[in-house]
Amino acid sequence: MRNFGLMNTWLIIKREYLERVRTRSFLVLTLLLPAIIGGAFIIPAKLSSMKSGKTQRLVVVTSTPQFGEIVRQQLVTGTSTGDEKVGTDTGKDIEKDKDTLDDDKPSRNYSIEVDSNSSEAERTDLRNRVKAGDIDGYLWLSDDAVAARKVTYYGRQAGGFMEKSWLSGQLDHAILLQELAQRGVTGAQADALLKPVKLETIRVEAGRETKANGQAMFFAVFAMVMLLYTAVIFYGVSVMRAVLEEKNSRVMEVLLSSATSTELMAGKLIGIGAVGLTQIGIWIVMAAVYAFPALAASVSVGEIRIPPLTLAAFALFFLLGYLLYSSIYAAIGAIITSEQEGQQLQFIILLPLIISVFMMGPVMRAPDAPVAVWTSMVPFFSPVLMYLRIAVQTPPVWQIALSLLLLVATIVGFLFLCARIYRIGILMYGKRPTLPEILKWLKYAKGL
Amino acid sequence: MVRRNASLRGLADKFPESVGVKLNAVIGFNISQTNRKPHHMPVNTVELSKIRKSYDEFVAVDDLSFIIRPGEVYGLLGPNGAGKTSTLRMMIGITVPDSGVVSLFGEPLRRAHMQRLGYLPEERGLYKKMKVLDQLVFLGQLKGLSGHDAGQRALQWCERLGLKDWTDKKVEELSKGMQQKVQFIGALVHDPQFVVMDEPFSGLDPSSALVLKDAFLELKAAGKTLLFSTHRMDTAERLCDSICLINHGRAVLEGDLAKIRTGYGKRNVQIKYEGDSHFLHDAKLVQSFNDYGNYVEVRLAPGADPQDLLQAAAARARLSKFELMEPSLEAIFIEAVGKANA
Repeated sequence: MRNFGLMNTWLIIKREYLERVRTRSFLVLTLLLPAIIGGAFIIPAKLSSMKSGKTQRLVVVTSTPQFGEIVRQQLVTGTSTGDEKVGTDTGKDIEKDKDTLDDDKPSRNYSIEVDSNSSEAERTDLRNRVKAGDIDGYLWLSDDAVAARKVTYYGRQAGGFMEKSWLSGQLDHAILLQELAQRGVTGAQADALLKPVKLETIRVEAGRETKANGQAMFFAVFAMVMLLYTAVIFYGVSVMRAVLEEKNSRVMEVLLSSATSTELMAGKLIGIGAVGLTQIGIWIVMAAVYAFPALAASVSVGEIRIPPLTLAAFALFFLLGYLLYSSIYAAIGAIITSEQEGQQLQFIILLPLIISVFMMGPVMRAPDAPVAVWTSMVPFFSPVLMYLRIAVQTPPVWQIALSLLLLVATIVGFLFLCARIYRIGILMYGKRPTLPEILKWLKYAKGL
Repeated sequence: MVRRNASLRGLADKFPESVGVKLNAVIGFNISQTNRKPHHMPVNTVELSKIRKSYDEFVAVDDLSFIIRPGEVYGLLGPNGAGKTSTLRMMIGITVPDSGVVSLFGEPLRRAHMQRLGYLPEERGLYKKMKVLDQLVFLGQLKGLSGHDAGQRALQWCERLGLKDWTDKKVEELSKGMQQKVQFIGALVHDPQFVVMDEPFSGLDPSSALVLKDAFLELKAAGKTLLFSTHRMDTAERLCDSICLINHGRAVLEGDLAKIRTGYGKRNVQIKYEGDSHFLHDAKLVQSFNDYGNYVEVRLAPGADPQDLLQAAAARARLSKFELMEPSLEAIFIEAVGKANA
């Protein structure tokens, strides 16, 4: 008896897997998605570096030519934002952390004109020059403005977020240099005083010390959580579609005369999950071969070394999360009669996932806080939140064990419940059942 | 619920008492028939005992019992929505009756029986994107065949049903008739002893239907037990040894087809005529009639003499045919179920 079941489940897994992996769409998606994602990062970066090739003509208005010269120097030789290399916050912050204020070439070329006439008439005149397109903008650094640390940039382009923060950083630096110069500190002495702090974090785990970079870590964890989240939705929807297709094409009836609904559902979940793992596996290999050298050049991969425990936790929580959510998707597939109805019901699944993503911030900030501890125990949240806690700061073993136990128990319970809904639903055609009807199904789904 | 009761009551009004009596007699007859082969006691392929299945308030199958003997072609007849598919599903373990017992091969239905039966669902149930041979191998393996055996047998069947050149095509590329053949092979690839087919001939063109019918008869000759449902009485009449006619989930008539027809007696008359049809409306002679266009089938009123009908008809119309005969299955069906349900 048992062997029939395992054999059938195995046959169904094999069919689901091979029929999917062999399709052209699988190949196209597997190859194309990395290209699209890569493109999404690379193209904007390319575009922004193209734009920065154009020289910005600025006028710096100060009360003294000396101060104007300091600002000019700072803007012309100051650090770049670094965004054209990786296009992420992480990249920028890492670059900033480094002591590269002087030797990094600015990506955007500025042609700066120093103007020491800070009268209202001059301001009107400059404004007209900007309007006429003669210059791109001017910075108003009158004594009052500097004293109040309230500088106005008047320009044709208000400037992006990155540029603005970069600009204010440079101005801070210039003002400090000016203040220091007024107090008799100049040149190398001033530079030494203004040398920024670079914070190096060391992660201690099981007595071993690992160099860690908070930002890079956040990036890695966040990427994995998003992968987990999208994969659960993506492959879960595949499960739902597959069930719906079998139901609508009535293959289900033929299958049910050979296998039980539990075998069918288990085979489907595992088969499609295996397709998902294959696809993610291919992407990881592709990323390693293709993207890593590029990533290594800018982000210094050494600093986002992901501990093996985190990787293992990722694989484990991905599988468990997928099983939990896709069993619900399978039940939804059995209930609905068309994909539109499926979309309406998907919120049941999306809600806990969205809540988990919202909880990421608080959990990351305080992985030991009671809120974090208890939400990471809740089975619908634990695939994301417990994984996150493990990645950020390994929680006590008993917490991981409890969370896993609860998750596995819930999965078993849900597989059981969803298999019952599935069992009845797959033979129901026509109208979508109401919730009380579904609850009734749970009662009659007994037998074989 | 109320509506169903009302219609049941209506149905009871339509049945002559004799049908109910005959029903019991027929079942009794059947049970005694199990001793027909004296050499060994054959185990009934199917025994349904008082099965009932309801979906919420709707009773799909109610107190249904019948027996299918090995090697028999059995027809499950009834109008649309009578409970045929629900009954078939319970017999092959897709659903479980609320009460009553389904026995296969002499034992209560269990998992292991699934390998000995083949099922052809009412609508095509195939993976559209899957290749014909892969699909058949998959179905065969689910029934316990090895991949190699399933492939061999599927190929043999495809050759026999003229699908040899299509084994590498996706199911969706096949015509409807060819898909039905694939489905048919899917039900037979593991050489089951008992084949259950839900409306096997519906939606087929005559030549495909003929091919399937021949395969059907070959299976019968090979000693397989066949059960099929249909609402086409002519098909059932040609193929079945025994039938069960159900309506609203209840058996209306059950047993050996020839005996059922004999039981009705030669009380039906086929008349071909031109001219006045007033004789058909004489309640003393005619209980009911059914006009097929080319001819009329008349059920004689109880106690009426066919000779009187002949005279009444000949008096005002030109007759080209007047034949006293056993009722056709269709006539029995209509009488039993009522014209409203036909």
